[in-house]
Amino acid sequence: MSDQPRRAAATVEFRHVTKRYDARAKGTPGAVNDLSLTVPAGKICVLVGPSGCGKTTSLKMVNRLIEPTSGQILIDGQDAAKRDLTDLRRSIGYVIQQVGLFPHQTIGENVGTVPRLLGWPKQRIRERSDELLGLVGLDPGRYRGRYPSQLSGGERQRVGVARALAADPPIMLMDEPFGAVDPIVRERLQNEFLRLQEELAKTILFVTHDIDEAIKMGDLVAVMQVGGVLAQFGSPAEILASPASEFVARFVGADRGLKRLSLSRVGDLVPDQVVTVSVGEEARVARDRAKADDFPYVLLVDGDRKPVGWVGDDRLPEAGTVGEELAIPMSPLLNRRTTLKDALSLLLDADVQVGIVVDRRGAVQGVVTVDTIAERMRETAGSSEFSRELVEVEA
Amino acid sequence: MNLVTETATWLTDPRHWQGSGAIPVRLLEHVELSVVSLLIAAAIAVPLGLWIGHTGRGATLAVNLANLGRALPSLAVIGLIVPITAAIDPQLGFKVYPTVIGMVILAAPPLLVNTYVGISGVDRELVEAGRAMGLRERQVLGQVEIPVAVPVIGTGFRSAAVQIVATATLGAIFGGGGLGRFLVEGIAQNNDGMVFGGVVLIAGLALLTELLFTLAQRPLTSPGLRAGGGAESAVAARADEISPA
Amino acid sequence: MIRWDWIVDHLDDLLPRASQHLYLAAIAIVAGFIISFALAIVSIRRRRLYPPIIALSGILYTIPSLALFAALVPITGLSVLTAEVPLIIYTILIFVRNIVAGFDSVAADVLEAADGMGYRGLTRLWRVEVPLALPLIVAGVRLATVSTIGLVAVTGILGDRFGGLGFFMFEGYRRSFATEIFAGALSSVLLAVAVDVVLVTVQRRLTPWTRPPRLEQVQAAA
Repeated sequence: MSDQPRRAAATVEFRHVTKRYDARAKGTPGAVNDLSLTVPAGKICVLVGPSGCGKTTSLKMVNRLIEPTSGQILIDGQDAAKRDLTDLRRSIGYVIQQVGLFPHQTIGENVGTVPRLLGWPKQRIRERSDELLGLVGLDPGRYRGRYPSQLSGGERQRVGVARALAADPPIMLMDEPFGAVDPIVRERLQNEFLRLQEELAKTILFVTHDIDEAIKMGDLVAVMQVGGVLAQFGSPAEILASPASEFVARFVGADRGLKRLSLSRVGDLVPDQVVTVSVGEEARVARDRAKADDFPYVLLVDGDRKPVGWVGDDRLPEAGTVGEELAIPMSPLLNRRTTLKDALSLLLDADVQVGIVVDRRGAVQGVVTVDTIAERMRETAGSSEFSRELVEVEA
Repeated sequence: MNLVTETATWLTDPRHWQGSGAIPVRLLEHVELSVVSLLIAAAIAVPLGLWIGHTGRGATLAVNLANLGRALPSLAVIGLIVPITAAIDPQLGFKVYPTVIGMVILAAPPLLVNTYVGISGVDRELVEAGRAMGLRERQVLGQVEIPVAVPVIGTGFRSAAVQIVATATLGAIFGGGGLGRFLVEGIAQNNDGMVFGGVVLIAGLALLTELLFTLAQRPLTSPGLRAGGGAESAVAARADEISPA
Repeated sequence: MIRWDWIVDHLDDLLPRASQHLYLAAIAIVAGFIISFALAIVSIRRRRLYPPIIALSGILYTIPSLALFAALVPITGLSVLTAEVPLIIYTILIFVRNIVAGFDSVAADVLEAADGMGYRGLTRLWRVEVPLALPLIVAGVRLATVSTIGLVAVTGILGDRFGGLGFFMFEGYRRSFATEIFAGALSSVLLAVAVDVVLVTVQRRLTPWTRPPRLEQVQAAA
């Protein structure tokens, strides 16, 4: 990637951090109350909660846009309050919902802001800027010379991420970065960011009010409630399976069972086997095989083992070959990466019990039924009671 | 059209282009007075406006002062200063100082207000983003706020310049130089050609000034702001609350 | 420096000039308002005419007052007309903009409700639109009045019969008498301020539902 050794991602620790705007009142919105948690290096920690729970305030205390009333924030063990403010901020990437691109500068100049502040040579700034634009999916040749007003919301958001990454900071702060775009663009940006993170492995603090986004993006999730209180801190699976309080359970939503399905993928399951019949195969052979299996249908596949359609056992001819015209409309196609939630959704939409699992080339691997998915749900369900303590996380 | 020919004759008469009271001389006097006043007014108003806009302090006071300045009658302002400066220097105290000081007083408010509104009109999120990236306060002002505020501040300069050029004509009433002399002397001598010739020259200069500043603003404004989309933070209204000189 | 005793002695001379000053201003303001109101109504009914009207007045506004007065001298001599016409022209820009803005500020849904209740034409104009447009119109009157009072002083260039309190500024210069200049200047400023105060009070009485001017009305000068 870049020509210099990447700085290791940093750990971020909140130690009894409190922010009070009114010296006496407790539980005022926007305040933070005795927040303690540790984000291990290279992980994404999502701060999630309703308006006024202090998540953005907590985020802003890391780069000291807001100063804590008491408590410490440690970065790699060093107190952030003791570091030089400007140095600190230049070593932390910051992405906000409105992006905040400088309208009077080109995209290239915007991305190069922090390197320029750090005094990098011009050539290096330009190379790095191009590199990052490519990384976030924007062709440098086309975008480098444009101005923010000429870009769409999604494009601007990508530039914002590129700008934050420019100086290769060990920490990134992101405040509802994908909130200002429509759901389709948001999903794409989320997926691309996760892929980016697989490469970069930075420590990321991510704020959102959307529990689905929190579950999707976070390695760790911190659920906060109004008054700046940490309600639960744990992996998405733990939050969903064992909410620590009624507030968490309610915030996560009554459909947390379904939400848990989005944490597992088709690839996690063992697909059921299905009887396949190739197009042009002898009907008699096909009938024998179909009889040997309980399922009243066989799956017709082509020469590449790609599915063509279902054929009812009783519709197989007595003689001759099995032709394509016998097949009826297919079930949805699923691949290993499809989340179980999406798989279930597809099956329900198609009003079928069975989905066909195919590999990257489209060849049939097996089938997955609604029952199998439901079984999986039952297996991974935690207790329905609230666990008494917050789950501790090992750094 | 007697008046037109009279004026044309007066303007083209070569005698009026040489000598101490000639057209180029008066023109130069006028421009000199204007430039000096604009620079002084800018030196006072712009830093003040930048500070008020950036820190947000003193805004109400500035606004009230500006409002007051706008209501002041130009001639009277000059007249108020005359006795003070006349005591210092009986010659220049009539002819130059009051006009210059008056022009500064009248031009500073629009400059101040525009600078202040321009800076404070910059999206606060942008400013915070700048700080978050590690820009120091002065860098935030210089690299973010001022470039984005250029359209509004530029407008302030334009209106201040036009105001100054207009007020400079009044200086002639107290014996000062500038194109206004043709008006005063023309009326006194009943010389229609001179009067109207002066009018033409003055109107021309005023419009030229307006044009000059409008054109000068374009290259100074970042293309990213001209496109219109990013200019949502720039408040560039065209109010006409300057008092005519 | 300033001979205050001279001023005190000559207060009697100031008074008639002050009334002349107000007289000249009043003519311009009233005439200007009537003309502007008509222009404004026309501009509202035919939107296309608005930009050219504003542009023309804008150009005239840029020309220094002294030049505009002087320009009329060859045409209308040293008469009241020469004094009044430029004064009226200067009020037109302020008035037209404010009147049009005033009527524009009446929300469309209010007009619709009025129509729905049966208001028609002139009645609607008088009973609905004018009261609601009043704040901006009154603000325009205030601006124009203060500005005009300031400009009346410049009419002194036209001779002894004009200038109102500005007369003393011209006369003072002729006699190289700084105190007189100062007296003329101070009195015209005080007059302007006094009138402004009166108008502010009137404005508050007429439109009690308006708030004090916010920043947008102090808008960046163009």
